[in-house]
Amino acid sequence: MKISAVALAVVLPCLAVTGASGQGKVLGNPAAPLLIEMYSDFQCPHCKHLHETFLPGFIKDYVDTGKAYFVCREFPLASFGPRSREAAAYATAAARIGKFQQVAHALFQNQASWAQTGKIWETVAGVLTPAEQAKVQALFKDPAIAAEVQHDVDAGLKIPVRSTPTLVVTHQLQQRPWDYWEDEGKLFRGYLDALLK
Amino acid sequence: MKANCFAVTWMPFSSSKPVKIAMLVIRVALGAIFVYAAYTKLAEPWQLFAAGIASYEVLPMWAAEALARSLPWFELLIGVLLIVGRWLRVSTLAMSGLLLVFFGLMVRAHIKGMTIDCGCFGPGETISWKTLLRDGSMLAGSLVVTVAAFVSRSKRTEPA
Repeated sequence: MKISAVALAVVLPCLAVTGASGQGKVLGNPAAPLLIEMYSDFQCPHCKHLHETFLPGFIKDYVDTGKAYFVCREFPLASFGPRSREAAAYATAAARIGKFQQVAHALFQNQASWAQTGKIWETVAGVLTPAEQAKVQALFKDPAIAAEVQHDVDAGLKIPVRSTPTLVVTHQLQQRPWDYWEDEGKLFRGYLDALLK
Repeated sequence: MKANCFAVTWMPFSSSKPVKIAMLVIRVALGAIFVYAAYTKLAEPWQLFAAGIASYEVLPMWAAEALARSLPWFELLIGVLLIVGRWLRVSTLAMSGLLLVFFGLMVRAHIKGMTIDCGCFGPGETISWKTLLRDGSMLAGSLVVTVAAFVSRSKRTEPA
């Protein structure tokens, strides 16, 4: 049980930590020297790739060790159509009941399927109990959820986030967006290490 | 005859006082811009600039990394030389060469519709018409200063 819990913590990028924000989209120590905000879109194939390949190791090496505080932000791209925003809203609603990581993982894992069929709710519901499903459905209709997604989008545009996935690094009040992932994040890790020196 | 014509053509360029002052102002301004550009890159870990270079998709990663480590120091050297007015033919030529390459790469990226960082003065500045206009103006100024540096030198070395 303990081993599977640890494995889950390594595999899933955005653990539902009921931290200061209580949004279930944060992970790590808020007092960490680095704040890293990930702007992603559930329909974006590069985000899925980052989620599956880079993030587990990154969380193990930087978040679990107290070097970085990790926050997931929604950035549904208009180019993917309305399904991205709907998925973001479901994930945000699930975060309110501490189920963000499960929903985010399900959405990325089944990305090709729901992006084609539009069965977003079915994908989300698959990782929730009936009681949780009812809560998430109710929250999904709450205008505050849509407003929260829009807040993330607005914050991203202001930085500016130009594409997904973008990890925005804040260190000593300096905010730097990073969107280069062609090298599987090697340069990014080097950048973080240099900041931490 | 040909050399004579050349000298007469460029005489106002280098001998008129207002023109000389204008050349000095442009040269020092460009030098200051180069020093500032170098500072914005050197103030950050080199990996950030390397990612910016790599995002142009022109160089392999090893070359982008080598350039990210060396280019800011080269920009700083050129900037200082321009400001103090030493080795002007070399420094203005190097500046024009660099700006020509930068501008060409930015135009290419813009035409290809790449939404990437300009990389000119640190991160967070997307290539746009604004950045193209700015760098194009810098290139124009740089070319003028470079020509002036060569003309004034050739005038000084001309026989009486």
